[in-house]
Parts: sequence; C-alpha cells; structure tokens
Amino acid sequence: MGVAQPSTLEQVLITTKVEKVINWARASSVWPMTFGLACCAIEMMAAGASKFDFDRFGAGIFRATPRQSDLMIVAGTVTYKMAPVIKKLYDQMPEPKWVIAMGSCATAGGPFDSYHTIQGVDKIVPVDVYIPGCPPRPESLIYGFMKLQDKIMTSSLADRYKDIFEEVG
Amino acid sequence: MSEPNTPEVPQGEVPVGPYVYDLAASPQRQIVLPKTAPVPSLATYKAEVIAQAAADEAKWQKQLADFEIAKAKAEAEGKDAPKAPVRAVPRKDDNDLKTPWPVEATDPDLLKLQALLGDRVEEVFQQAGELVCQVKKEAILDALRLCRDEVDLRYEMLADASATHYPVGKDFAFSVVYHLTSISRRKRLRLRILIPEGFVPASACEVYPSANWMEREIYDMLGIRFANHPDMTRILCPEDWEGYPLRKEYPTVGWGQRDIDFREDRGGVLNRIAMTTAGQLGINLKQPKAD
Amino acid sequence: MFKNEEMEINLGPQHPSTHGVLRVKLRLDGETVVSCKPVIGYLHRGVEKICENKTYFQGQVWTDRMDYVASISNNLGWAEGVEKLFGIEVPRRAKYIRTLLTEQNRLASHLLWLATHALDIGAMTVFLYAFREREYLLDLFEAFCGARLTTTAFRIGGLREDLPPGFIKQAQVFQDRFLDCVDEYETLLTENRIWKKRTIGVARLNAEDCIALGVTGPVLRAAGVPYDIRKTFPYAAYAEMDFEIPTRTEADTYARYLVRLAEMRQSHRIIQQCLDGLPEGPVMAKIPKILKSEVNEIYHAIEAPKGELGYYFVGEKGGTMPYRMHVRAPSFVNLQALPKMVEGRLLADVIAAIGTLDVVLGEIDR
Repeated sequence: MGVAQPSTLEQVLITTKVEKVINWARASSVWPMTFGLACCAIEMMAAGASKFDFDRFGAGIFRATPRQSDLMIVAGTVTYKMAPVIKKLYDQMPEPKWVIAMGSCATAGGPFDSYHTIQGVDKIVPVDVYIPGCPPRPESLIYGFMKLQDKIMTSSLADRYKDIFEEVG
Repeated sequence: MSEPNTPEVPQGEVPVGPYVYDLAASPQRQIVLPKTAPVPSLATYKAEVIAQAAADEAKWQKQLADFEIAKAKAEAEGKDAPKAPVRAVPRKDDNDLKTPWPVEATDPDLLKLQALLGDRVEEVFQQAGELVCQVKKEAILDALRLCRDEVDLRYEMLADASATHYPVGKDFAFSVVYHLTSISRRKRLRLRILIPEGFVPASACEVYPSANWMEREIYDMLGIRFANHPDMTRILCPEDWEGYPLRKEYPTVGWGQRDIDFREDRGGVLNRIAMTTAGQLGINLKQPKAD
Repeated sequence: MFKNEEMEINLGPQHPSTHGVLRVKLRLDGETVVSCKPVIGYLHRGVEKICENKTYFQGQVWTDRMDYVASISNNLGWAEGVEKLFGIEVPRRAKYIRTLLTEQNRLASHLLWLATHALDIGAMTVFLYAFREREYLLDLFEAFCGARLTTTAFRIGGLREDLPPGFIKQAQVFQDRFLDCVDEYETLLTENRIWKKRTIGVARLNAEDCIALGVTGPVLRAAGVPYDIRKTFPYAAYAEMDFEIPTRTEADTYARYLVRLAEMRQSHRIIQQCLDGLPEGPVMAKIPKILKSEVNEIYHAIEAPKGELGYYFVGEKGGTMPYRMHVRAPSFVNLQALPKMVEGRLLADVIAAIGTLDVVLGEIDR
C-alpha cells in the first residue's frame, strides 16, 4: 500500500499520534454483536467460552443490540428471507463498523448451492475479514479477529472518506 | 460455481418459470426430469417378478428350440451335434445387501384396516418390516380417524407427513404419505394416497393437530393445498416466493431469486478499486467457466 | 378507566435467546402474552432438494448441518436409514462404536442446552461450566473423525476406520470426572430459589396435548409418557444396553430440566457399558462401491437429543441418488407447541419456553 503522493484529504488533515491512539483504542475494545445464524454460531460461542477465551481481546461483551456494537460477526448461512434483516441490522450499527464473514456459508454460500441461499454475505454488506472453514475452529476465528485488529490499527481516519474525495479531486 | 449469474435467454427456447436463467451453465444447474414414478407397490412388484420369470422362461425355451433346429441341421449335413445349452444361473453377489422386497400383508392391523375400510383401500403390504396401506384419496380422513380411534389400532401420534412429486405418474402426480406411531402398542404404520395435480385432499389437522405445520410445508414445497386447514400459507420460503421448490422441474439453484445485491456502489468506485488493485497484483479476474 | 391497548412486537430473528434465527410474533397486553405465532424459514437452505442430487454416500454431509448441535445423531439417522433401504447389516463392533459416539453426542447436546437455557434465564456461570465439559467431548470427536462440530462420522455399512489408539483411555478419563460435573450443575441450579421461581409451573404442556401435537423427546417424557425410541424401536446397539428412561409428571420447565439432567446420567451409564463391552471384529460391512436402489421407501426414526428424528427415503430403480429425502425434524414439530405453552403467560416465560423446548433452527428450516 505504498502511496507516494498524499491524497487531497491527507494534505489537509495531519493525524498521526492521535490516530494511533484512536486506532489502538478501537482495536482493543471491539464489541461484537450476537449474530449467530447457524453452526458457526456454536463455534463462536465456544470461542467465547472458557477454553478459547474471547474476552482477553477486549471483545468479550457480545452486545445484543446493533446500536451498541462495532463488529458484526456473520456466523452461518445467509438466506434470501434473512437478507433484508441483515441489511437492516448493518444499517443500524453506528460508525465505525466492521464485518467478519465467518465460515464458508457467509463467505461464499458454503455447501448450500440452493434456491434460497445467498452465495456469500458480501452480496449484502461489505466484509472486512473472511474466515474460511466449515465451521472454522475457534482458533481460526481468533486469528481472523486478530487480522481485523491489525486492519484497524493500520487504518487511518481518512480511509473511510477516501472514496468520496477521490471522486471529487 | 463462481460464474456471475447473467440472465441470458437461451436462443430458440421459451424460458419456463418466472425468471430467466442460463440453464446450461453447469451440470448441477440442469433440470433432470425422472423417467419413472417409483411408487412401491406389491401389485407392480408381483407383476414385474412374474414378467421377469416369464421372459426368462421364454428365453430358455427359445434357446432349446434353437438348439433343436441346429442339431437337426447338423445331422442333416453330417456334422457333429452342437453343444447342449445350459440354463443360466443368476450370479450371486458377494456382499451384505439384502434388498427388502414387498411381501403380502399378514399383520393384524393391516387386515383390520382392510376389513373396516373395505374397497376404499387400494393396497396393503409390508416392506422392510414396515406396514404400508394405500387408500383412495377421498378416504384419507376416515382412515386417519379410524387409526386413531379404533380400540385395536390406537395410533395416537402422527410422526410425519410428507409428499413426493412424480411428474411421469400415470393418473397421479403426487403421493402424500402419513407416518403414524402407536406408543402404547409399539407399532408404526404408513398411509399413502396418490393424488393428481390440482386435487385438494382433506387436512389431517382435525384428527392430528401436529399436521398443521407439516401440511404448510408440503404446500410450500410442492403446491398441494389442503382443505379445512387453519392457516394455509407458506412456512419456509417467504410469503411472496414464486414456484414450488421440491417439484422436479424446479432447479436446485432456483430461478434467480437469490441473486440479490444490496450493496451500494457509489458510482462504481468499489468496482473500479477492485479492478485496479487486481490488475496491479496481476490477478486475472476472468472467472473460468464452471465444470 | 385506562384503555387497554395490545402491543404487537417481534421477538427476533436476531435475538440472543432465540437459539438461531427464530422470529416470534407476539401480541402483548402489558406483560401478558395474548397470542404468539412463530415464524420460521430464516435458515431454509433447501437441504432436501440438495440431497436429491447427491448420492447416498455424499448426502451425509448435509445432515450434519441440520441439527448442528448434535451432528452425530443426524449422521446415525442417515446411515441407518440408507442401510434399512438397502437391507445392509452392520457388524457388531460398528454398532457399539456408533452407540458410544451417539451417546457422547447426546451429552454434548444436553450440555449446550443447559448452557444456553441457563444463560437465557440469567445464570451465566453454568454456560462456562458446561462448555468446559463440552470441550472434552469435542476433542474426542475430533480424534475420531477430524471435525469438532459437523462430523460426518459414519459411513454406509459401518465406520470408515476403527477407533484411534488412546481413544478409549481418554473417554474413560472423561467418564470418571463427568458425574461430579453434573453434581456441580445441580448444586448451582436445582435448589436455587431464583431458578425454581423462574421454571416451576412455567410453560406447561400435558401429556395429551403433547401426543396430539406430535411432540417427542424430553418434553414428552417430562409429561409422564415413557416414550423413548431407543427402547420402543431399538436400533444400533441399544437393545443390548441397560438403561432407564427418566420421566416426571409435572410437565413444566423444571421437570424438563430434571429429565434432561437424569438423561445425562443415563447416557453416562450407556457410554460406560459401551466402553467396557466393546466387541472385536470388523467395522465395515461388504457393500458394492456404487449403491443402486430398487423401488423402495422407508421411514427410520432415531432418538435424537431433541426428540424423534426421522428420515424418509424413496428410492427408484437403479438410482444412485434418493428420489426423495425428507427429514422429520423434532424441533419442527416441537415448536408447534409453543403457542399452547405460552399463551396467557408472561413475556419472560416465552424465553424460558423456547429454551426448554430445545429448538435448533437448523433442523427446523432444513
């Protein structure tokens, strides 16, 4: 990601130390939303339980409501009937928000190539991290989560608005 | 499997169904209509066995007759007699399969049902240790009520109700099957009716309330409506779904209703970023044709 | 004086206590439920249609994903159903190992039920305790078939290979400590005043309603009817096992809790018998590489942890794939009883009722 010439936004905004602190704060306390749909939900619960503790990443509190969560772990198969619900929940989450597609059903429809299954949740919401597996082991989920933390740590405040600014200038 | 779903109308064909879909994309997306209607039945099995035995016998007789003719011809010409034909013995397979064939009904429950319903019972037999009774389609409610209330039968619980689609059936299109369990007598029974397209069988809800959701599922998947049902709506697919998925002419991947895309792509920016990034990394984005 | 207005609200499909994506349309008068209508189908994946295009050997993969909490029971139902369709006799050692794994799976499923049910009602410690035991069992499953959750453990005609070395020793280690763990859960919940107040008298469903609605499993046994398919229509090696069927008569949530705990102890007993009396011999019957069926249909039911799990197969002449495959899911039929259990009660009882029915949306929606 070598950007030689800083973009318009980055010429205007200088955010370095503050940005690092904000990113560190965001990455250390990502609060996921309980969005277990199918089998991967059981592995997500196992990841949150005693053997593979999820709480040590600061992400132990699974909020039930999207209004208080940062992360939506889509764990399980996305079906046609459930798709508008997922979109609505994603829209209800406040910025900054991230989505992890856990398992092969959320990534690409999984083993269910049928009339009612959406082939991947990224047809509905933008996904940040894809975790393959059927179901992925809790260690895989934790690895994916750590990758998301890396992504948050290296992101800049300008990232979210880069698209709009690129269009303009 | 990763081919983009381009709705192209196949040339020269009228698309069947509400949505247009490229059917030739991969083998799994084909609609393969079955050529037979496999309804297990003692009568057809017997007919088949008798027909098979008759065919074997005819073949053996022809072999003998041919041998006689050849022998006579050889004697007339002065040559040696040809070898005598040996009856072919069916080859015995060396595995643990014991296919369950239908047998005559000897169980008292089936005989009792036959006695009570008389000529409304089309067939009774036993197969794989299970009792099967096929009744006329108008008589299903009476049959279910008898099974539950008769003191000798007492089938208290409806374990399962399901249906199958037979597109090449002679005068029927569906078979609706009810599995009854008698807890007190430790027995199971299967009741079957064969119905043509458009027939509305009586709902079993007044006899067995557990049939409520089972019949809704049959309606949702196959399009069979039931009379006097408290809530005849779709249960698994959404209310506005078109088509009946478990029919044989419905493809597994559907008619394209699942190809939705909610994401907002403001001015194609995401698409453009993906293409340029892929180009920089040297990824060829042209997907190979599946299968 | 004040006008009573009814409120129609939605419980789910995204809700921490709906055990999947279940939506319940509730009409409330204050806190009292006037009418309750479950709406399902948010996880309908078309498994029955998919399995019509897969051979008898391949179809087992999709059965794990139906009742994903107790995958091995689903696999047992599929394997035994296909074996009944073809008339295949499984060797005795394979039957014992299948029984052993199915009972361990029953323990895993009941532990998960306990964890989520207690979590819904508010007891969060039990969740962590039960998952601690579940991890032992999942390690055993992983040693046997390579996967923790969606196992595809069995093959048509027996098992793919024998138990790995060390399996029996590890299973025995788990056995020795399990009963103390059940006692631990009992000390947390059984005599707990809050638990008793939340569960005694809640979500009643008496025996004749159960049978009329087709409800099976621990719900029926807590209503007093000793119907357990392992004893009524024995399959696998259950005819040779010595165990009891726990029943109670009150038919409320507390009774179902006690029945499931007693079932865990009985499963422990069956596992011990399997481990002690494991016979020698082959684990796979001799069957042809390509299975072609005759015109045949069977219905085979087993006792899954949730109730009666039935597989209905229709085979066609010379077919390598089932003409029709239907699964009678216990949770599908059990969920029909929810309105009857809950109408007239309070909103908090709806949560307890969903938990006590032990529904898994994967098998409801298939």
